[in-house]
Amino acid sequence: MKPTNFFLLLLIVISSVSHAANPLDPIVFPKAEIINNYTTRIPFKLIDHLIVVEAELLGQKGNFIIDTGSETLILNKVHFKTFDPYYKKSKETSGVVNLIDNPLERQLKEFVIKNLTLTNTTSDVIDLSHIEKTKKMKLLGIIGYNILKDYEVFIDMYLNQITLSKVDAKGNTLDKNVYLEKITDSIDFTLKNHTIVLETYVNDTKLNFGLDTAAEYNQINKNSSRKVLKFFHPMRRLNLSGASGGTIEVLAGKLYRVKLSETIFFAPMETVLTNLNKMNEAFGTSLDGIMGYEFFKQKRTIINYQKEKLYFVNYPLIKE
Amino acid sequence: MSSHIVILLFVLTSINSFAQKGDLKGYVIEGDEVVFTFNRDDYSKVTHDGTGRQSDFEDLDIQNVVVAGNFNDWSKDQWKMTKIDENTYQLRKKLSDFADEFSWEFKYVINNELWAEPSRTYLNQGSAAKIGRRLQSYNLRLFTAFPDKKGNVRFRLRGFEDAKKVIVSGTFNRWNEELFRMYKIENGWEIILQLRPNEYEYRFIVDGHWMEDPTNPDKVVNEFGEYNSHINVKKQVTFSLQGFADAKEVVLAGSFNDWNEHDFQMQKNDYGVWTYSLPLSGGKHHYKFIVDGNWIVDPDNTVQEYDGIGHINSVYMVK
Repeated sequence: MKPTNFFLLLLIVISSVSHAANPLDPIVFPKAEIINNYTTRIPFKLIDHLIVVEAELLGQKGNFIIDTGSETLILNKVHFKTFDPYYKKSKETSGVVNLIDNPLERQLKEFVIKNLTLTNTTSDVIDLSHIEKTKKMKLLGIIGYNILKDYEVFIDMYLNQITLSKVDAKGNTLDKNVYLEKITDSIDFTLKNHTIVLETYVNDTKLNFGLDTAAEYNQINKNSSRKVLKFFHPMRRLNLSGASGGTIEVLAGKLYRVKLSETIFFAPMETVLTNLNKMNEAFGTSLDGIMGYEFFKQKRTIINYQKEKLYFVNYPLIKE
Repeated sequence: MSSHIVILLFVLTSINSFAQKGDLKGYVIEGDEVVFTFNRDDYSKVTHDGTGRQSDFEDLDIQNVVVAGNFNDWSKDQWKMTKIDENTYQLRKKLSDFADEFSWEFKYVINNELWAEPSRTYLNQGSAAKIGRRLQSYNLRLFTAFPDKKGNVRFRLRGFEDAKKVIVSGTFNRWNEELFRMYKIENGWEIILQLRPNEYEYRFIVDGHWMEDPTNPDKVVNEFGEYNSHINVKKQVTFSLQGFADAKEVVLAGSFNDWNEHDFQMQKNDYGVWTYSLPLSGGKHHYKFIVDGNWIVDPDNTVQEYDGIGHINSVYMVK
């Protein structure tokens, strides 16, 4: 079996503020639909279980991964190596996999999504060639929390698109007519650093799960109580390759009886059993597990960081 | 050397006359099922589990055959096959049992202890390591694209009759250089694949030499300054509108025809339902019906979006 590069979702970077000023660098999503001044819809494709959008930045065409698990915008050093060394400075980054060494850090003074403008965005420049290799795509970078947080973010696995709608400080969308489909449910989350943490029930045991759009597999901590692991039905062993190229063996299976509330529950979720201690370091908070692709596959989800709320839209009943 | 290729896009009706001559041994995909077939004649040797000693197949008394692979942790007794006749065993599994995994490897186990060794090299045969030991095994790969005699896209390369090996490789199998081996036909090579509606780039590999499809004018420059051939696989979609049996004229208009108000005249069937069928590219399409001059959204479709100027459209997704 092909090793799956799922640890890339763990490329978390301790951010620090840089004061390097750069000229305006617009990032353009050529396939985006600009709805109005505040809202844009960007189609994505799934590469394995990664959500990937096409974009152009600094004269280069390529892909960005949408990753709520990443704190910042990350640019791939392979394609953006011509940075002024003046801005180069040593910085410690922590990742679960020890490959991120002293990334160059740069600030995009203005980060423009067509007519949507983001200011003072800090980005890190890191070698992401391992992801390019395993996924066979040209990867310009990773769009993380510090970009996404200024928007209400609708991750729609039915229409394969991400809708970004600008919000005010209170989290109200500036565009009053963003969605036409009915929001059928919602749930509160807490934001710990940049990580969305959901109170999640497995059967009736309460756990803290992180929500990460770039988690190709759901993960649950090996050290979870027996009461919880009773509902994890292992099916097979998987070899997962980390970003550093090493592989670890994990147990893959299905996690049953997952719910967020009495009304929001999930079909059995493909999950791997892992050691989350290192991951907790990366996410900057203590988690019992991570939910990713499987979550979004089952729920069309809107994330509002300011309100610390998730909203859900039903999948349509398809008539064929 | 001259060569010609014909590509059939979205062959919408099934093609029954093409037998799959590919060398994907050990399994076939039928509809949404994977059918594992063990045929005694395909094997010459068995490897004893534990000792690794090899012996001949000939005098073997077969009690049972099991499919073992990554998908069941190489279990020697879980996925038991059904005996079809003296020499043939079969097992059907739903494609969905394999999740979206990119590739799997498997082997057949005889009597819960003997690993069957394929007689010759097949396309999908790879080497498998089990607990540190090298095993030869079939390599069952599940892509969203797979060879299928009833598939929807036929790739053909004319000429190259002296070539030993011709492969089609593309974005549909992440540029795998071995997997989709074309078979010889009169005057050339062919393979039929089942592809989801989407846009794809591909090239042929003729005895290790990469080339674009010489008869497909649709191509894009790749990172090596050469060309990748390009195809757009579509899906036949039928739009229908109920409850307007008394209307005189109903037109379908959408992003797929630049909102033309006359092109797609819908037909009323015996039940008073207006329908129109057309092939659509993969992705999202906005549309509306024009009923006797009035624009309406599809009353039976809950999926709607605003366009750039505040209008509401119905949305159809092709995947």
